[in-house]
Amino acid sequence: MTQTRSIDIAIGCGLATAAFALVRLGGRQTLGSPVRTHIDTARTFNRSSALLALSVLTDSAMEHYRGSFDNPAMYTPLVVSTLSLFAGLHGGSDLEPARHPVRDSIYLSAALAGVAGTGFHLYNITKRPGGWSWHNLFYAAPIGAPMALLLSGALGAVSERLRDEPAHEPRLFGMPAGQALALLTSAGLVGTLGEVALMHFRGSFHNPVMYAPIVIPPVASALLINAAFAEPRDHWFTRLWLRVTTALGFIGVGFHARGVARARGGWRNWSQNLFNGPPLPAPPSFSALALAALGALRLRETEKK
Amino acid sequence: MTGLPRYPGYDVTAKRDTPSWDDVTRTVIDERLATPHEPHFFDVVEWQALCALCACIVPQDRERPVVPVAALVDARLANNLGDGYRDARLPPMRDAWRIGLRALDAESRSRHELPFSSIAEEARHALLTDMQEGGLDGPEWRGMPGAVFFAKRVLHDICGMYYAHPHAWSEIGFGGPANPRGYVRMVANRRDPWEAAEARPGREDQAYKENRRVR
Amino acid sequence: MSADDPHDAQLVPRGKNGRAPDVFRPAAWIPMREYPQDEAVDFAIVGTGAGGGTLACRLAEKGFKVVAFDAGAWWRPLEEFASDETHQGKLFWTDERICDGENPLHLGNNNSGKAVGGSTVHFAMVSLRFRPEWFRSRSLLGYGADWPLDWREMWRYYGEVEEALKIAGPVNYPWGPKRPRYPYRAHELNASALVLARGCEALGIDWSPTPLATVSAPRGDAHPCVYRGFCVSGCATNAKQSALLTWIPRAVRAGAEVRDLAMVGRIAMGHDGRASGVEYMREGRWQFQRARNVVVAGYAIETPRLLLMSATERFPDGLANSSGLVGKNLMVQLNQAVWGTMDEEIRWYKGPPSLSLTEHWNYEDKGKDFFGGYCYMSQGPLPVAWVSTQNGRGLWGQRLQDEMRKYNHQAGLKIVGEAMPQERNRVTLADEKDRYGLPVARVTYSLCDNDKRLVRHSLDFMSLALEAAGARDVWRETDDTCHLNGTARMGDDPATSVVNADCRSWDIDNLWICDGSVFPTVGGVNPSLTIQAIAMRTADRIETLAARGDL
Repeated sequence: MTQTRSIDIAIGCGLATAAFALVRLGGRQTLGSPVRTHIDTARTFNRSSALLALSVLTDSAMEHYRGSFDNPAMYTPLVVSTLSLFAGLHGGSDLEPARHPVRDSIYLSAALAGVAGTGFHLYNITKRPGGWSWHNLFYAAPIGAPMALLLSGALGAVSERLRDEPAHEPRLFGMPAGQALALLTSAGLVGTLGEVALMHFRGSFHNPVMYAPIVIPPVASALLINAAFAEPRDHWFTRLWLRVTTALGFIGVGFHARGVARARGGWRNWSQNLFNGPPLPAPPSFSALALAALGALRLRETEKK
Repeated sequence: MTGLPRYPGYDVTAKRDTPSWDDVTRTVIDERLATPHEPHFFDVVEWQALCALCACIVPQDRERPVVPVAALVDARLANNLGDGYRDARLPPMRDAWRIGLRALDAESRSRHELPFSSIAEEARHALLTDMQEGGLDGPEWRGMPGAVFFAKRVLHDICGMYYAHPHAWSEIGFGGPANPRGYVRMVANRRDPWEAAEARPGREDQAYKENRRVR
Repeated sequence: MSADDPHDAQLVPRGKNGRAPDVFRPAAWIPMREYPQDEAVDFAIVGTGAGGGTLACRLAEKGFKVVAFDAGAWWRPLEEFASDETHQGKLFWTDERICDGENPLHLGNNNSGKAVGGSTVHFAMVSLRFRPEWFRSRSLLGYGADWPLDWREMWRYYGEVEEALKIAGPVNYPWGPKRPRYPYRAHELNASALVLARGCEALGIDWSPTPLATVSAPRGDAHPCVYRGFCVSGCATNAKQSALLTWIPRAVRAGAEVRDLAMVGRIAMGHDGRASGVEYMREGRWQFQRARNVVVAGYAIETPRLLLMSATERFPDGLANSSGLVGKNLMVQLNQAVWGTMDEEIRWYKGPPSLSLTEHWNYEDKGKDFFGGYCYMSQGPLPVAWVSTQNGRGLWGQRLQDEMRKYNHQAGLKIVGEAMPQERNRVTLADEKDRYGLPVARVTYSLCDNDKRLVRHSLDFMSLALEAAGARDVWRETDDTCHLNGTARMGDDPATSVVNADCRSWDIDNLWICDGSVFPTVGGVNPSLTIQAIAMRTADRIETLAARGDL
């Protein structure tokens, strides 16, 4: 059991580091806040989109490899998420107060690919014997996975629209931008939740830690909704909780690595366990959304109403 | 599926040093592959008959590596590894084989004046078909029904040892040993990279290349 | 030292010197309490399978002093289970038995395990509950005999066993009264299982992933299934929740002693007409363990064999046999199948052999010309098992080899069908002696008309189903059976049964029988879950009886 032992140690270090950082930082606002311009928020969203795109790239590459790229369309998310990743990195350092047309079209195609992917996955589930059933939700194409690509596109597209807004009282979707972004990221967190809940239910919650990603993010989501509709003020607890959610995503990778080590043959049997075991690239999607939400929160706290 | 499936170039033993095989399996299979080709249980006469019998029950062409079936059957009888039961109409396994092989030779001599190993293939097939249908019942059988001997010993023991050999596994595209690594892709028409690739008509080369890469 | 020679495990007992193998850690041991032979333990249990292993665990956990005996070896699956059907024959009862009757049985690797953990070491892990009405087969359904057990009580024990074994089953089970959710989720269906599903959907009946005693997620030190497909040759992954991995380690931790390579040859009787202990062969010599109670749990051949072999002047027809029924009413389950060839690659060697099933004909009473029921399941035989099925068709030579080449394109549906209890089907003692000097068992079996009608109905139906799923060249396997039950049936009348509802023999109040022998009827589902549930109930009953001094 030495593989799991060494991963346990790594997780322990990760948890200790995260706990230390959270205790030091608490829910205090840090350097870089209050946000000077809405561009900073936009760049945060670009970067979160990139992180989400990276997660989608690795996850869809592994899963579609497992599916033997049976349908040529299965290459699409790899291509689109790669483009989205580059767009996000580019936008993350871009100070231009204007929508970038190439990035924007990449983001829109990512969102469309996410919607199309959901359609493909839905077809894959319902065409099998049993149709819409627990078994097919567990083992056919994961219904919630393409949603991550949609979210990556959405975060990026929103960022581009935000850049177009004036620096003073920017607005999105008919409301103050910060409010809109808080609601968007809140929805994103809830959306990511569904797939995790399904997969951890499939794993029978054999380890109590598997409840963490279905308990922590909904609270973050609720706090964000509260921050969106309440009078703008310092929401230190929301900030703290979002930092916990960010840490959750990265520590989740550690736990998934532990899951791979825990299977028969451990890492030596990687050619099976990477694909049958818990997906390594999935947990950081929470981190990506939580980081974007922190950006939204910063913007919200500067707004007048 | 047109024609019989083929797996050109596939060899389960190519996975010997992968996570699909473990120590105990390697020991077991190595030993099976190292079974001596001379008999330890049967005498020379019985051995001749057995070899001819095996050639009829599981004919092997020259294309594929040979499975030493007769040797494996002989080894099993030498070790007297039984099944844990026997049909009441049969004597214990070793006695059944000795009686059966000698009776087969006797039947062959009475028809063709030659032992079973010396007669032509068609004649052998005819004799075996008779045995299967219960038509052989001379005194050499000592009351053992030929049809029951054929079904429960000849077919059971010979075919069982043939398909216990890695060459036979490769022939039928069986995944072979699998510990600790099992399988990932469970649905139809999907294979893991360490499984046999079936040759599509006109694309045997592709299957051959994939099978050489199996590990 | 040849790999096919008996392993260390089959030559040298491992359950001794105060320790037992830790099956979860290579080369490791756990401490085991040992009991002196000349001091009577509370329970001497013969056999450590689904009945004996479960009972040993529960009694030890309730504080009783327990010694369990098994003729078989104490295997370490992780290191000693090779991926080879032939070599793994070491898991089966390979001492001689003689089979006759109109339909002589196939024993050995078909249904008879010999190992600590019994047949649960090699079984296919199918874990199904009885249909409630079967406990009243005679009163409610008009055949067989009534059980002296209430289905509601059994329903509770089924739940306890399912929880103890973390059965991996579907979220919703289509048949029978409500049950708690299976503790672990069902496994992914392989292509072979999906063929069954398609067939059922085409014919408009329900189907389901099979509830299996192998884990689909990590559990304690057990690894989740890797779908290697060697289940019935022994699970080297330690995913299969056999008694070897579950009840036995719990029993040892609770203070029970397990003696492997210990063949019990006789139950000794005292002058008071009660059992005084067991005589067993271990390490080359006959030994004797004193006991206040003896439980026989050797499964449906060895149990009556031991009772008959233990005959004395006072009990000339064998122990607990005033009814004359010890050894009689042997029931197998019908195991016929249909097989066919698919255009797509099925590769049924991946995963447990029976990943999907339908119990439609267990719960549907209309449209049957027979009593009883059957379920059928998808299949995944490995090469040696498959060629044996082909031999059963009479195939040999080039025709056989051509058929075998289609190995990766096969699919099949196989029943577990309810055979009727018949007194003429029985286990008796032959004159031949085995290597311990004990009389070999003679197993006599003949099907009755009801059995044959059930078989015909099932083959007709499954042929339709398999063709509806797209199979070609569908053919019928007409001769196969599985499991063993009934040879020491339970009842509420000493004249017509061997044990009562508590598995206590009518004749000898400290002689118990706790395995598949006690089934009055066999139902149309695999027996292992029911055997374990009966053992759990028996342990509770023993605790109650002991508390009020009735032991």
